[in-house]
Amino acid sequence: MDLDGPMIHFQNVSKEYDNQSALHDITLSVEKGEMAFLTGPSGSGKTTMLKLVYLAEMPDHGSITIAGKEATSLGESGIPLIRRHIGVVFQDFRLLDNRNVFENVALALRIRGIAEREIKTRVADSLKTVNLRHKADSYPRQLSGGEQQRVVIARAVVAEPTVLLADEPTGNLDPETAEGVMRTFKDIHAKGTTILIATHNRELFRNSGKRVFRLNAGNLVGVEVC
Amino acid sequence: MASPYAFRLALQSLSKDFWINLLSMLTIFAGLFIISLSFFIFYNIDAATRNLPEKFSLVVYLEDNLPKEKVDEVIASVRSRREVASVKYISKEDAFRELKATLKNSQYVLEGIDDNPLPDSLEVKLRRDAMGSEPVRKFAETTRKIPGVSEVDYGEKFLSTLHDIRNGMRTAGILLAAILSTGIIFVCYSTVKILFYRRNDEIETFKLLGATKGFVRAPFLIEGAAIGTTGGLTCLIALYLLHHVVILRIGASVPVFKTLLFPANIFLSLPLVGMFLGISGAAIALGRLKY
Ligand SMILES: Nc1ncnc2c1ncn2[C@@H]1O[C@H](COP(=O)(O)OP(=O)(O)O)[C@@H](O)[C@H]1O
Ligand SMILES: [Mg+2]
Repeated sequence: MDLDGPMIHFQNVSKEYDNQSALHDITLSVEKGEMAFLTGPSGSGKTTMLKLVYLAEMPDHGSITIAGKEATSLGESGIPLIRRHIGVVFQDFRLLDNRNVFENVALALRIRGIAEREIKTRVADSLKTVNLRHKADSYPRQLSGGEQQRVVIARAVVAEPTVLLADEPTGNLDPETAEGVMRTFKDIHAKGTTILIATHNRELFRNSGKRVFRLNAGNLVGVEVC
Repeated sequence: MASPYAFRLALQSLSKDFWINLLSMLTIFAGLFIISLSFFIFYNIDAATRNLPEKFSLVVYLEDNLPKEKVDEVIASVRSRREVASVKYISKEDAFRELKATLKNSQYVLEGIDDNPLPDSLEVKLRRDAMGSEPVRKFAETTRKIPGVSEVDYGEKFLSTLHDIRNGMRTAGILLAAILSTGIIFVCYSTVKILFYRRNDEIETFKLLGATKGFVRAPFLIEGAAIGTTGGLTCLIALYLLHHVVILRIGASVPVFKTLLFPANIFLSLPLVGMFLGISGAAIALGRLKY
């Protein structure tokens, strides 16, 4: 790992879907240990930016480096290794219906080959941070939208990733629960995790003292500290 | 690569898609069963006919009144041939005596024959590897050219028919086994492909969470192996039942059935063969998929 440079760096990155520009000439950096926000109206390219970071999409132009590693030069076998350093709160959750909450969260650890004993305690701890310990045996469809959202957060943080990406993590939450989730993120950030949160909810970063990248129609239109 | 969790995933999938798995297991069973039955039949025909050529011999008739040294020369010449296993000299007196013994109960046939009409001869047995109809024909031809030999006689028809049957059976057996094995591999291939597509969403999530190729693939290989092994095991059990319940029981009233050989040692490898075919099918399916 590159110890000096930024954790995430976009250099002149463009991305098109079916010849439709989704991101245009984006250059930005997120420093190691920084907590930053990505905002903009719906369709402005927030999700696309996060997808480029966790390598679900590849850029059409420009380069993306994650912890000093050039994303486009990673081989097929390099991608999983980078993803193991990244926890993602997916906008569409990606919970598996046929597994209970415990198994859904445990999956992140099983993929990393972690021993069963350790999995038990770590999943329990992680469910505790999102206040869902009592739902460990429930299935996703038995949970409310807010509860599902918190399961996804638990899964994203359980492996203690270097980078946490969150796509509209409070989109389904009432203000109170949203505040709880933000507290969780701040705790994780305090331990040194780099966090990038995509949201159109200004409340999340108001008076946070964090950097906010503002997107509009695929262009980076401003960076400010709120 | 195959962690305990991979086995758990494979087991989950086996029970979740129980009917697909059962169906392909039964198909594998059927294929292996047909191969095994053909092998069983071939094995028995082969065993029954294997020793026939040993009883087979050529008779080399010598010219009349050949002097003793000449006879020895012919014997030496025949014996020096690579194909020859043994040579036995039968003098015309021995031959006549044997004929008389054979016809002991119908002596009238020989009435009026005082002179011995039979020639001296050699009874030649060939090595088993020279027993094909073509090598025997060549051998007879060259032997006939040795000075002092008047005629060479052998059961040409019998030998070539036997040879053809055994060769034909072997070719048909290998062909059948090859076709059915390909079929079995294809069944495992399609099964794994179907299962893979059914779980596409789940696999996509695995990958986004950082799963390696091996992590995604291992359960499918295990599943292929499990389907193949169970198919082979079921086939083994079915053959065992067939042998003990059907063949031996029929053998009680029809003795021929009792002499049938059951190549248990070879059949015991069926689960392993099934496993190999199952893993091959799964591996091909996974190799052709993108990850
Ligand atoms: N998989 C896709 N195929 C085609 N177009 C897409 C795809 N994903 C996103 N887009 C388009 O790219 C643009 C940016 O989308 P997205 O990154 O999801 O925005 P946001 O997350 O800010 O709402 C939108 O116009 C959207 O319609
Ligand atoms: Mg989005």
